[in-house]
Amino acid sequence: MNSREIVLAHLEGRPIDRLPLMPITMMFACDHIQARYREYCTNYRVLAEGQIRTAETFGFDYVNTMSDPAREAADCGATVQYFDQQPAALVEDQALLVDKTKLVALKIPDPLGGGRMHNAIKAVALLKERVGKEKIVEGWVEGPIAEAADLRGINAVMTDFFDDPLFVRDLFAFVIEMELRFAREQVDAGADVIGVGDAAASLVGPRLYDEFVWPYEKKLVDGIQGLGAKVRLHICGNTRFSLRSMGKLGCEIVDLDSWAPIAEARQQMDANQVLLGNLNPVAVLRNGTPSTVTGSIAECHRQAGPRFIVGAGCEVPRDTPVDNLRALCAYAYSHRP
Amino acid sequence: MPGVAIVDLSQHTAMLDLKRLHDAVVTGDANTSRTLTQEALTAGTDPLQLVNQCLVPAMDEVGRRFESNEYFVPELLISARAMKAALELIRPLLTARGDKPLGRVAIGTVRGDLHDIGKNLVASLLEGGGFEVIDLGVNVSPETFIATVKEKEATIIAMSALLTTTMPAMRTTIEALKQAGVRDKVKVLIGGAPITQKYAEEIGADGYSENAVGAVALAKKAATAAR
Repeated sequence: MNSREIVLAHLEGRPIDRLPLMPITMMFACDHIQARYREYCTNYRVLAEGQIRTAETFGFDYVNTMSDPAREAADCGATVQYFDQQPAALVEDQALLVDKTKLVALKIPDPLGGGRMHNAIKAVALLKERVGKEKIVEGWVEGPIAEAADLRGINAVMTDFFDDPLFVRDLFAFVIEMELRFAREQVDAGADVIGVGDAAASLVGPRLYDEFVWPYEKKLVDGIQGLGAKVRLHICGNTRFSLRSMGKLGCEIVDLDSWAPIAEARQQMDANQVLLGNLNPVAVLRNGTPSTVTGSIAECHRQAGPRFIVGAGCEVPRDTPVDNLRALCAYAYSHRP
Repeated sequence: MPGVAIVDLSQHTAMLDLKRLHDAVVTGDANTSRTLTQEALTAGTDPLQLVNQCLVPAMDEVGRRFESNEYFVPELLISARAMKAALELIRPLLTARGDKPLGRVAIGTVRGDLHDIGKNLVASLLEGGGFEVIDLGVNVSPETFIATVKEKEATIIAMSALLTTTMPAMRTTIEALKQAGVRDKVKVLIGGAPITQKYAEEIGADGYSENAVGAVALAKKAATAAR
């Protein structure tokens, strides 16, 4: 089996002879080809080159198009600040929806309209063309609260839950419609998996997550699966109190940040749920040694059980020692599920 | 009258109002917080009493609930907003009569980093804990931190970074404080997702906390040490 076949077989519950390996790399992949991160974010050829060479060097089973959280918001017209050597970021005090009433007039941008979403779609197509038979091609969209925070400002959206819950629902509905259009084009371009990044969901606690965020995440997950792709959910931060609900979304992969105890995820989610992660990317992967990395990922595997994919809790930090990353990869190649 | 307790009704009412103000902050009701504060001040309640017996305990309770996962970021932010509504009325009175805060904290997310939610949580809890907070915002240069120490006499610098790529700006800022000759005038506290105690020690920070509640305890310790 090649990489792609291993991942697909594992997700479908068929036997495989080693663990799949799907760590998130962005700045690490950019540094690997000695490119400027600004180019990685804005030029799909640079992103594809970084992903392919990193995946080939370390034996990853997939390539991914994630570079920063600002693609969709940029196409909506939000103010985005670009940096030479780190991810593009939204300028919060100039957020597009500082004035909430502007939501009514906000148009969903055309994902093929030549903007940053289009750039990501071109990356998917190029990755599919170059390595799509060998490796999983993973596209990316923002989840409802992450994108709402990008458009409205994260501090404002946090208080909107209490001040104007109807607005929050309207904003989430707008986001889901936009993300599903973006996902559709990525699937059409060849994405096997769509990653859903909903970083801010870890900030709101279980009550607001269940009441506001989960229903829209569910619509997004169902919609992507309806397009024929599989879904990888990644929520940065501590999702410990929402694990049970996350497990009910029906995602093919739940990719856990290191703050969330993987043993609790296993306990609270269906026994068949594939979990990915989740050693601490900074304290263990970047600052540890090959030996501590091996020990830590082995413990993740033990707690997660056989329905497991090897990865870090979040992005592999750019200055991670190569030997540490190789230790993570070696674990996948030397262990059965 | 033998056997009948004499109750000072005005004092009882005042206590009830303080309790209501406390609860308004804990539940994040900014309008009630502002109204009750104004009423209490109009009735002659000592502003420092409002801070010490009401706002500080209320934010302590908010911090406790946050730490024990009863509250999350949205709840903490609306409580902080309610506290600020009260403080906006109280602070000018305290300043006018020369009352000093526990310390003056210059807080900001370091240069190159635009993430501010963690920094905002810490700033709110520090304010609720009795500190004067100068919020420098995001993408704060070492020069701005230095100027705040020199011109506004900040006694504590609190720096936040969310990215491993922006962490080095903390070291740069501490070096710049040394070069500007003001390192000894301030305690430097750091925090953020990728930060560790080990990193704080490596770069010569005075303290590190992994969460917002711990940051307040750390700042109180630093303020005590600075006296």
